[in-house]
Amino acid sequence: MTEELKVSVDRKSNGAVLYTKGYINNVGGEEIANRAYELMDDGVRILLLNLRETKIVNSIGISILIEIIEKMMDQGGKIAFCCLTPVIHKTFQIMGLANYAAIFDSEDAAVKELRLNN
Amino acid sequence: MSPLVRRFAEFVNDLQQIDRAAGRGEAILDAFTRHTTFAVGAVYLREARDLKLRLAAKTEHCVAPDIFEEEVPADLYASPGQVVVPLRCGRDQLGVVKLTGEAKHSEEDLEVLRAAAAFVGTLIANQRLAQEMREGDFQLKYRLWELESLYDIGLSIAGTLNIDELADEVLFRMISLINARRAALFLRDGDSFKVYRSFGEVDLDRDALRKLQSDGAPMTLWSGTTVAVPIRGNNAIIGVLAAADHETRDGIGPFEENELRLLSLFANQVGIALENARLHREALEKQVMERELELAATIQRDILPKSIPTVERIDVAALSRPARQVGGDYHAFFDRDGVLSMLVADVAGKSMPAALLVSALHAAVQLLFAEGRELGDIATELNMHIHRWSAENKFITAILASIDRDAGTIEFVNAGHNPGYLLVGGRLETLKSHGLPIGIISQSKYVSQTRPFPSGSAVVLYSDGITEAENEVGDEFGNGRLEELLRERINDSPAALRDLIAVAVDTFTGTAPQKDDQTLVIARLA
Repeated sequence: MTEELKVSVDRKSNGAVLYTKGYINNVGGEEIANRAYELMDDGVRILLLNLRETKIVNSIGISILIEIIEKMMDQGGKIAFCCLTPVIHKTFQIMGLANYAAIFDSEDAAVKELRLNN
Repeated sequence: MSPLVRRFAEFVNDLQQIDRAAGRGEAILDAFTRHTTFAVGAVYLREARDLKLRLAAKTEHCVAPDIFEEEVPADLYASPGQVVVPLRCGRDQLGVVKLTGEAKHSEEDLEVLRAAAAFVGTLIANQRLAQEMREGDFQLKYRLWELESLYDIGLSIAGTLNIDELADEVLFRMISLINARRAALFLRDGDSFKVYRSFGEVDLDRDALRKLQSDGAPMTLWSGTTVAVPIRGNNAIIGVLAAADHETRDGIGPFEENELRLLSLFANQVGIALENARLHREALEKQVMERELELAATIQRDILPKSIPTVERIDVAALSRPARQVGGDYHAFFDRDGVLSMLVADVAGKSMPAALLVSALHAAVQLLFAEGRELGDIATELNMHIHRWSAENKFITAILASIDRDAGTIEFVNAGHNPGYLLVGGRLETLKSHGLPIGIISQSKYVSQTRPFPSGSAVVLYSDGITEAENEVGDEFGNGRLEELLRERINDSPAALRDLIAVAVDTFTGTAPQKDDQTLVIARLA
């Protein structure tokens, strides 16, 4: 298991998919926020976070994810999550993230629903 | 709309753009300098839970200290070329705007400033209230999540019986539960604890682990940046959960009492789960052992004689009672040209290794008897074969006997086995051991002995499962009881003697479990 979070981006014509690998804590959360804000500044208004390779998220990480969601909503965009572990899925539901961001089981389902183009 | 109202409306419209936190000072200063005659100024704001008014923004050439130390007026204070505008909401002092300019300000300017300050004060207060509510809501949800997590952990890890999966689950859960950056699960290994799984490195030395073991209480180290709690099993401390670097939004710091308490609660759940996993593993091992025993019993059953050979003038009876835990008793009969040979053997050990050795013995004796060799040769060959092919410390005690009805003799070899009995002419004689058990040393040679065996004589061979059968208090049936019985019923038929001995043994042992295989072979020459 790795401590540091790694983020990679798949830029689509009308949005982006952001892949995370590792622990979403304060450091990892900031890394995601930086990449997400860069994408927003670049005009991205549909952002899908694929958390397939993330097994742990703590409350600081959650609060940062909420801030990203709020910022995207302020700009009229939307954020969605996919491929969550059952534990993280439940965490997002309890912490209220699921009220503002859609959660999908698979990336395919999310891409289809969000109409993300290649 | 009057010019004053229009001016104020535009002022308010700009002020409404003030964000919740980021850039708030700049936005206020921008609106105040744009909609008044003042071009220079500074904005000081007081954040929640802060007593000081700190510089939030200033125009390029304005000279302004970082902290506003002057007395804040209760109402707008104006002097030539300067105005100080307090930002309040009720009694809360939220900030102050200090403006300077060369142009002369009118009463109308001051009224607009006063109204704008009231609006900004209310706006900031509302935004702070909303922020506090959001933070309160987050904390509430976070506490709910903690409780749900503890509940889920109980269900989840109690249902995980694989120790490796369990260890991962434990680590992931504890890290997120107490906002740790690093964590480790230590499990007992003999007298000490060893890291079983870790996420990053946790500095917990032997002394700390020893203290945890002796005190059995949670502990904090390195100024609270590392915490460790014991995991209790049924009767002892079976592991340790340790975490390091408590995360905050600003970085890392010490763990608080609340986190240590949560970790202790979590460790209780982990203790139950680990005990469950251990019991599950033991149950699986027991299952494997039982399957092995069953297989061994099947092997043994299959190689024991299905029937007793019919030899004219020789009446034979046999008894074979395997113990629940498979031992290594074996017996066989061979009929060649009117000579009946019998073998009773006991393989050292239990379970599958013993069953395999019995199997090897069975194959060897079948071949050796088929070759028509005499008993001494058979025992010697068997010894070499078993010594070569069986594991060290494996051996077999055996008694072989051949009744020659025409010659009226009995030939025998006793290789470390219990003494057999001869019932000849109303007397009880013994066929004592005259050689080492088979398989002990490769050079052993066995020479058979011959005794007279006239009509009416009987021979009794048995395994130690008969004479060493124990009753409830641990006393053995013994050779004395067996000999007494044989003397009393010296003329009974082999079948009657067999049944008599079986009942006597059962009566003696009562409810005590049968610990070893019991074998009995009796033959009488008519």
